[in-house]
Amino acid sequence: MIPFVAVVSLRNPESRTFRLWIPLVLVKLLLLPLGILLSPFLFIACLVCRVSPFRGVAVMWQILNALADTELEVEHRSAGMSVHIF
Amino acid sequence: MNEHRRQILQMLSEGKISADEAERLIAAVEEPVAAKPSDTGPSPAGKSRPKYLRIQVDSEEDGGQEGPTKVNVRVPMQLLRAGVKLASLLPPQALHSANHAMHEKGIPIDLSQIKPENLEELVEQLNDLTVDVDQKDAGTKVKVRVYCE
Repeated sequence: MIPFVAVVSLRNPESRTFRLWIPLVLVKLLLLPLGILLSPFLFIACLVCRVSPFRGVAVMWQILNALADTELEVEHRSAGMSVHIF
Repeated sequence: MNEHRRQILQMLSEGKISADEAERLIAAVEEPVAAKPSDTGPSPAGKSRPKYLRIQVDSEEDGGQEGPTKVNVRVPMQLLRAGVKLASLLPPQALHSANHAMHEKGIPIDLSQIKPENLEELVEQLNDLTVDVDQKDAGTKVKVRVYCE
């Protein structure tokens, strides 16, 4: 399942919670031109390291997609943060 | 569920199905119950395939002003699988350096001998993993739980 949204929550000492919804699809679209620009350099780097660039891209894509349902929560009396990827 | 089983036995007694077919049907009817995931705590091995690796850390200082610190991490097993595939992409030079460093530390593991199927097997074995650590010393209580759910 492709992750769509990342929700980052931050709680400060005054117990005020900031919640940030990050649309990952939009982020991916925004980063796509950068990825295309960098792809020749990544291709050369893969060849220098004797790694198949196509396999590398496939694995990176799998990792990005596998991030869905990841949770990270850190709670403390004075502050807390959490990251949920849906 | 008993109703289904009764119907199967009824069909068996009427000769509509053979004993083998009845056995297969009863097994098929009972299968969803065995595969039903539990909602509380780690699931017992063999009942269902875990989807997540959960890491929980509770730390508390006795009489401390700061209060307890809690960490709760849920990692999809799919991410672990993708991660071990990334490890198989390590260039030979990096593997050689890692092997050399581990040998220096007295760890006789040759990473170049680890194949993707071995890593997959390793992740599969994590299904039965449960680690509980309780530590109490110097006014600090730390509880760590690692399990698959």
